[in-house]
Amino acid sequence: MAKVFGAAVKRREDPRLITGKGRFTDDIQLPGMLYAAILRSPHAHARIRKIDVEKARKLPGVVAVFTGADLEGKVGPIPTAWLPPGSDIKTPAHPALAKEKVRYVGDGVAMVVAENRYIARDALDLIEVDYEVLPAVTDAERAMQEGAPLLHDDVPSNVAFHWQAGNDPTPAFEEAEVVIRQRFRQQRLIPNAMETRAAVAQYNSGTGEMTLYMTSQNPHIHRVLLSGILGIPEHKLRIVAVDVGGGFGSKIACYPDEALVAFAARELGRPVKWSEDRSENFKATTHGRDGIIEAELAAKKDGTLLGLKIKLVANMGAYLSTAGPGVPTILFGLITPGCYTIPYVHVDVYGVLTNTTPVDAYRGAGRPEATYTIERLVDLLAMELGMDPVEVRKKNFIPADAFPYPTPTGLEYDSGNYLGTLEKALKILDYEGWRKKQEEFRKEGRYIGIGWSTYVEICGLGPSQVAGAVGFQGGLYESATVRFHPTGKVTVFTGTSPHGQGEETTFAQLVADRFGIPVEDVEVVHGDTDRIPMGWGTYGSRTTPVGGSAIAVAADRVLEKAKKIAAHMLEVAEEDVAFDAGIFQVKGMPDKQVTLQDVVLQAYLAWNLPPGMEPGLEAQAFYDPVNFTYPFGAHACVTEVDPETGDVKILRYVAVDDCGPIINPMIVEGQVHGGVVQGIGQALWEEAVYGENGQLLTGTFQDYAMPKARFFPMIETDHTVTPSPHNPLGVKGVGETGTIAATPAVVNAVVDALRPFGVRDLEMPLKPEKIWKILSGRKEA
Amino acid sequence: MDIQYRYTFPYPREAVWEALREEDVLRRRLPGCRRLEKVGEGKYAADLGLQVGPISGLFTGEVELADAHPPEGYRLLLKGEGKPGTLEADALIRLEEADGQTLLTCTAQAQVTGIMASVGQRAMGGIANLLLGQFFKGVEEEIRQRQG
Repeated sequence: MAKVFGAAVKRREDPRLITGKGRFTDDIQLPGMLYAAILRSPHAHARIRKIDVEKARKLPGVVAVFTGADLEGKVGPIPTAWLPPGSDIKTPAHPALAKEKVRYVGDGVAMVVAENRYIARDALDLIEVDYEVLPAVTDAERAMQEGAPLLHDDVPSNVAFHWQAGNDPTPAFEEAEVVIRQRFRQQRLIPNAMETRAAVAQYNSGTGEMTLYMTSQNPHIHRVLLSGILGIPEHKLRIVAVDVGGGFGSKIACYPDEALVAFAARELGRPVKWSEDRSENFKATTHGRDGIIEAELAAKKDGTLLGLKIKLVANMGAYLSTAGPGVPTILFGLITPGCYTIPYVHVDVYGVLTNTTPVDAYRGAGRPEATYTIERLVDLLAMELGMDPVEVRKKNFIPADAFPYPTPTGLEYDSGNYLGTLEKALKILDYEGWRKKQEEFRKEGRYIGIGWSTYVEICGLGPSQVAGAVGFQGGLYESATVRFHPTGKVTVFTGTSPHGQGEETTFAQLVADRFGIPVEDVEVVHGDTDRIPMGWGTYGSRTTPVGGSAIAVAADRVLEKAKKIAAHMLEVAEEDVAFDAGIFQVKGMPDKQVTLQDVVLQAYLAWNLPPGMEPGLEAQAFYDPVNFTYPFGAHACVTEVDPETGDVKILRYVAVDDCGPIINPMIVEGQVHGGVVQGIGQALWEEAVYGENGQLLTGTFQDYAMPKARFFPMIETDHTVTPSPHNPLGVKGVGETGTIAATPAVVNAVVDALRPFGVRDLEMPLKPEKIWKILSGRKEA
Repeated sequence: MDIQYRYTFPYPREAVWEALREEDVLRRRLPGCRRLEKVGEGKYAADLGLQVGPISGLFTGEVELADAHPPEGYRLLLKGEGKPGTLEADALIRLEEADGQTLLTCTAQAQVTGIMASVGQRAMGGIANLLLGQFFKGVEEEIRQRQG
């Protein structure tokens, strides 16, 4: 049998998903089901004087209308579950329905439950809310200033937290021969998962059991948080997320809406469904990024990096979302030095509340912002010193023999070979060739630029002890159960919750490979708190390194027991038995063997087991990693800018990533493509815009530029393989690498293209209008 | 959102001025006007039923004619609330006469909320122009009838 670990097996979930046979939350139909709709604030900031729901209640087909007052003692506030230590964090109360004040456009005010979705929606129009409109603030820097509108009385100056990390960088800046200073803006993005959020709740008043089907990246986290919010004990609360159509971080958070659906089902004694529409998703589902970064890089004239100082003002939105505070602090701050030996690093982060949709993790979460900062600074330094940006990078890389490498921010990079990925990318791109072409094109009046991004990121979240130390209100280990059935088929239960990443395939390959059985014989189950003992979900590129490792450990435990049974069946000592490709064989006696299937059947028949051995063949593992994993790579982008129109065209994009050993190259390539496309989307087009009065102006796909396939050339991918030394598979994770690497590669390329015009920096997104305005009136120097 | 609109009336300035500020003309010619009641000097309570592009619904609000400088210009303040959201506009209307014709220039700042902001924003300029065009054309018709 061909080796399945490393084979480009087609994603087994796809036939179901692309032929309409998936089971998404909105597909669930229960007898007697009601439909909910949520009235959302049209104002960014207003006091609620009065809510009149009488007309809505009287509409035929309306079963109930709830406002904040009805939730008293029944639905608790929505919690924040990442509290970075030492940050004096204030977590303002987030009621499930606004009572006194609304704080962003989209804030929930009332909920209608009706016989069908149309009536529920119509009834929203009959609710009369008397608002006293208050001044709003959407810009984080302005929100910190004196006299700015205050969102929450208990959060002075709207500053929810102030966090610092690193060491004192003064020596670096004293020694510096060059200091690069730059202000960067990470614009706000909207995650835009293909499936919007949805929830279906069913309550059994006889047993007190609540089943909540919902779009979740982490059902067990939702179970514990919703258990607290709803006052339903965890053993009576079941969260199910079967097929989830993408999340990109936006389905990590615990939102008010799903809690409200469960509350309504309990109140009314009938199942209730709610499906977010697309306009609602733009406003009511968490946004990503949004921060202003002031950065200083100290260096010597030969390009040696000495120190880094960063101040980030992060816009958190109107409330602190579930994991929100961890993103601009832990996930951003600790990785700011990137893949370079920078002895002094200091990071200073302000988390600021504004009248905007709450901000939480979005693919990469903090790491794209950090990578953008250091990779742009390195290019600016190269420009200042007249050096090749590739040379500056090579000069400062952490050398391959320096791992494990402790950073000044307190991380320990597990393994790496940064020069290796760069050398490979240089070759694939034909860097020297493109530099020559660039010269030639310039003579013809064409502006080509080459941009690099050499990144390292924090993946495989993570050691639970560290999770606790950095204020994450949970563990980050993962659980797995590997169960053989009597006929030799296997069910794998994982606590991770894939929602597009393809782990139903990857994990089946992993198990099939270890057992020497066909991939088809392995089924992967995820996303159900009743079937899976525990789990922390899918985000932070943790699913394969942590969830996969848990499965590997459980599978090995199964094999351990199977080997004992095999030895007993073969009437030899355990040491004399070898296992390979699904067959136990007495060493040196090829005709004396039993298949794994024979052993499995015997384990369940229990006719002839070793004395004292329990029947059955399954194992469980709780795998807690000892460190994060640190994937890395080198991305190169070649762009051409049309100075007449400001349009940016991507001519080449080369991604050389090192995510350790690859289980399924086709899936890895897909992950890299998707990530890169999202990163390029941020670099060139995507931007959530609020008007001064806090109205979201980019509330449709007409106004928010989602990248289309035709915008991109073929993305060229390749890999080097540097295993993580601390997990059983050596894998590092690849779900976010593209998003993390792409933005600086693109911006560096565009700035490089526009060097003849004296352009030093450009603020994302690099829309043609912006570039055209900058270039108009400027002559080539 | 900034709105700029120009309209040429083939009538002298005084005639345009008078028509523009007459309650009955407003009632008949404001697009979608279902109710207009005087509530103070130059102030009216109004219901406007609008159905243009993505925006349809009944707006209840206030129309105010302020800072009158006859016959050169005035400010038109609009405040409306309806299911599609709220609308607030502050329009400066200037009248200039040349060769027996009157050039009207309307410079307005408008703020909208709700679906008008999130969905209608990019269409709002066009919709405003359409509504203003309807209104001024209606006023022109009123003057024509009067003079004819």
